[in-house]
Amino acid sequence: MDKKKIVVRFYRFPNRLKEKTAGLAPGKANISTEALEAAEAALNKMSEDYPDWVSGLLVKLQEQHGRCVDTPEKRPEFFEEINHIAHDMKGQGGTFGYPLITKFSDSLYGFTIKRPGEITDNQIELVKSHVDAMRAIIRGRVSGDGGEIGAKLSESLDEAIATYEAG
Amino acid sequence: MSDYDFDRVNVLVAEDSPFIRSLLVNSLKVLGVGNVFAVEHGGDAIHFLQRVKNEPMKVGVQQIDIIISNWDMSPIDGMMFLRWVRRHKDSPDRFVPFMLITSYTEPERIVQAREMGVSDMLAKPFTIKHIGEKLISIIERPRQFVHNAEFFGPDRRRQKLGPKGPERRMLTDKSEGVEIIRG
Repeated sequence: MDKKKIVVRFYRFPNRLKEKTAGLAPGKANISTEALEAAEAALNKMSEDYPDWVSGLLVKLQEQHGRCVDTPEKRPEFFEEINHIAHDMKGQGGTFGYPLITKFSDSLYGFTIKRPGEITDNQIELVKSHVDAMRAIIRGRVSGDGGEIGAKLSESLDEAIATYEAG
Repeated sequence: MSDYDFDRVNVLVAEDSPFIRSLLVNSLKVLGVGNVFAVEHGGDAIHFLQRVKNEPMKVGVQQIDIIISNWDMSPIDGMMFLRWVRRHKDSPDRFVPFMLITSYTEPERIVQAREMGVSDMLAKPFTIKHIGEKLISIIERPRQFVHNAEFFGPDRRRQKLGPKGPERRMLTDKSEGVEIIRG
């Protein structure tokens, strides 16, 4: 039927999305300044709730930590939950002014990823070190890189990681 | 210069973190997007799009105009979702603009997403300004779709640049074996 073999197809469609949002008038449109400002304001409002949201998750992490201590045979199950909570936390700390929460929860996420082998007491201690460090950040509202306090928290957490991983 | 009116735009958001999901939904709504649908992961998103295809009246939307999806989700992540949208026979619109949100910004990750046919990427942590810029880019600079033996997706060449050396591209619009499809 078709003599020539098609090697590439280019699909060029009219820009329906542009038509939908900016009509048929030529030229570039803008997002209205008012809308942008309103969205920024909404984001700021959400930022105010961010520490409370993190605190809620920290309580959950603490509970899971307690269960790991009390019921060692079920640690893989609890670790999965810890990993899940850490994942939720690590995404957007920077946007809300808490990059250290992102950093620490990312670290917590990394070492609670499912892997073969027993979950040791040291690893459980390390969960606690992370929870404590994030608590300190939220309690002290340590935003940004946290200056001296932030550096100190990062440092002591790194030390804890080095100690427990070596053990 | 006039302002965009997003009132008739339908956006699907797939994001597993509840806090970020509500942040995205809120921001889009405040920017004026008429319909924002939010789901928890890629599996739910696929299910939602199937419903849009099969029972649009029930879902209340005929067509999704823009998809914004997190990459790192389980059980179905953003890449698998993107793959489904671009390649699966049940996909309601294989050409829909698809934006991946990711905290992975390593070059090989970006290449991986581009090869899968992503339209744009939004790096975490993002701001309202970033979201706005990406929306404008999707509206103002859509790219033709390319379909050949190895690739289906928006043209990976964003700019019209000449080659550094001699021209080695063999095909033009007029070449045999090239088909142009205009909707």
